Amino acid sequence: MKTTTIQPMPPERLLELDNVHVHFTMREGLVKAVNGVSYHVNRGEVLGIVGESGSGKSVTARSIMKLLARNAIEAEGRIRFRPKPESEIDISALSRQSREMRALRGGSIGMIFQEPMTALSPVHSIGTQIMRTVMLHRGVGKQAARQRAIELLERVQLPKPAEMVDRYPHQLSGGMRQRAMIALALSCDPSLLIADEPTTALDVTTEAQILELLKSLQEEMGMAIIFITHNFGVVADIADRVAVMYLGRVVETGSVDDIFYRPGHPYTRALLQSIPKLGQAPMRRLRTIPGMVPDPFNIPEGCVFNPRCAHAVLGTCNVEAPSVVSFPGEQSVRCHFAGQLPEEVQ
Amino acid sequence: MSQIMNSSEQPLAGNVLADDALISVSGLRKYFPVTRGWMQRKVGEVRAVDDITFDIKRGETFGLVGESGSGKSTVARLILRAYSLTGGSVHFRKADGNVVDLSRLGDREMRPIRREMQMIFQDPYSSLNPRMTLLELVGEPMVIHGVGSQGEIRDRVAELLSLVGLRPEYVLRYPHAFSGGQRQRIGIARALALNPSFIAADEAVSALDVSVAAQNINLMQDLQEKFGLTYLFITHDLGMVEHISDRIGVMYVGRLVEVGDTAEIFNKPLHPYTEALLSAVPQPDPRRRSSGKRVVLKGEIADPANPPSGCYFHPRCRYATDLCRTDTPQLRPVAGRSVRCHYAEELDLTGVGA
Repeated sequence: MKTTTIQPMPPERLLELDNVHVHFTMREGLVKAVNGVSYHVNRGEVLGIVGESGSGKSVTARSIMKLLARNAIEAEGRIRFRPKPESEIDISALSRQSREMRALRGGSIGMIFQEPMTALSPVHSIGTQIMRTVMLHRGVGKQAARQRAIELLERVQLPKPAEMVDRYPHQLSGGMRQRAMIALALSCDPSLLIADEPTTALDVTTEAQILELLKSLQEEMGMAIIFITHNFGVVADIADRVAVMYLGRVVETGSVDDIFYRPGHPYTRALLQSIPKLGQAPMRRLRTIPGMVPDPFNIPEGCVFNPRCAHAVLGTCNVEAPSVVSFPGEQSVRCHFAGQLPEEVQ
Repeated sequence: MSQIMNSSEQPLAGNVLADDALISVSGLRKYFPVTRGWMQRKVGEVRAVDDITFDIKRGETFGLVGESGSGKSTVARLILRAYSLTGGSVHFRKADGNVVDLSRLGDREMRPIRREMQMIFQDPYSSLNPRMTLLELVGEPMVIHGVGSQGEIRDRVAELLSLVGLRPEYVLRYPHAFSGGQRQRIGIARALALNPSFIAADEAVSALDVSVAAQNINLMQDLQEKFGLTYLFITHDLGMVEHISDRIGVMYVGRLVEVGDTAEIFNKPLHPYTEALLSAVPQPDPRRRSSGKRVVLKGEIADPANPPSGCYFHPRCRYATDLCRTDTPQLRPVAGRSVRCHYAEELDLTGVGA
């Protein structure tokens, strides 16, 4: 865990989350969805966040945008964002409705969601939705905004952008809607794009199209991307660095090569082994992780992964929460036995 | 040996099923009408499934892959006669060894055969009645078919639950008390209740998390070994289908474009759509990161209500010629497989060999 004294962010840093906690008050009690998440994003890089459902990956991302539900309590933690070298913003200190926060949303930070059909307004044309964003943040007139909308639709490779600008979301296919959504998110040249499972609802060939598009846009515009997914294949394809989350905690971070070829946390290792890889000699059985993700009211003592961990040592793992062990390079692992586990062939 | 029959010739029942086959589907068609106005005037039709022919061998897992709207779920529903057929036949070898053409049976005659064919659904949340206990849910097939007394049903349900790895004490609980993976197991237990020989699993693990999906896939394979089950496994997850299937069929806009041995197809596809599909799958291996090698298809999946001329894939195919725009290729045997492409012999396509 980092010290509480606030250190200045290194120059390449765009966003830094430090010990972020998000809880929800429910009828059944308090759900601690995010428990001390720290990660950072550098300028122009793609950070992949992987984890199973309920790991808190989306909630953390939404807390960056202050888009959490009303029963959410942002209990602790600091989120710092630096869109321009000279201006550092402490997002955690802003209120969700403040002028600064509204300027960030859609301005310096764009977001795309899993289901473009529900994220886009069904009663406004694609063009209108983009124009409003551009007019709000850029203060330009209608004509200029429309021109910008057409230009953006062309950039995301929608066919016939001059016609598409007047179409409604229901007239487009899933892949085209996701392209329109990307155009909307990028309309004000954000320095950070948060992509929350943007390809999960799409077919593989459409997914491939969208991934290629995001990669080329990222190269062209140079924004950083937080790419949230449960699909390790997608992460391997797009991310520079990866954070693996389990039960509201980051259990491991590292470069994409570290995570895939030298995973340090037992959870990362087990997950990677439970995915069938294409073109591999067929195994008789898939490796599994015993048990299931505990429900948020019964979070295990000690290391949260210990009841399902093949390497858990009673007396240590079920008693004491592990701290983060850092390795040379950028890899860090939240495990008592990080670096001491037997090497495994991946 | 997979027999490919031209759909125009309808051979007599009896010699239609190869010795090792459990199910033989031939020339299967399902057209849904497109209607307009308050008179429900028919203005067109959607060819959801068009001229599908393949065999499923006894004890094997046949994988059906394709993107949404390709008609793979409709094929499963047609085999189980959940939909009526527009055309074609489905021959099924019953437990007593007799072969029947399901497409010619009425609902009453179909009923006893339903005991031998079951289905597992994708969404474990909507496919289980929330007001029924596990006893009622898993026991329902037995009640419907009048098998066993109440006590026998109770014993059988307990046995089925432990088979799928759930505690038999849970019989009086409701589905809401279980996680997605456990609910899927309840669906599996229910499908097994009447000792079927054939189970169609429609995206059975697609809604589950990676680690839970792996548990359920292993369970399905164990059950297959134990009871000699034959699976039709429908999915869009190519990694999973490669792992579980002996043979696969690839569908595109209601038609099969390639059928054959899984390893052979993955190693060296013969249809350009199969090649594009395989290359689109993001691999959990950063070194294989596509640096321009990936075949990114242009455009969108064709509309089955208004399909392109000739080969349905030609507008997106990088090998297409004039012939592909005008002539519809037939599913024909090529190198031990069936392929629907004019150039199956000439093209040198890339698979995902390690």
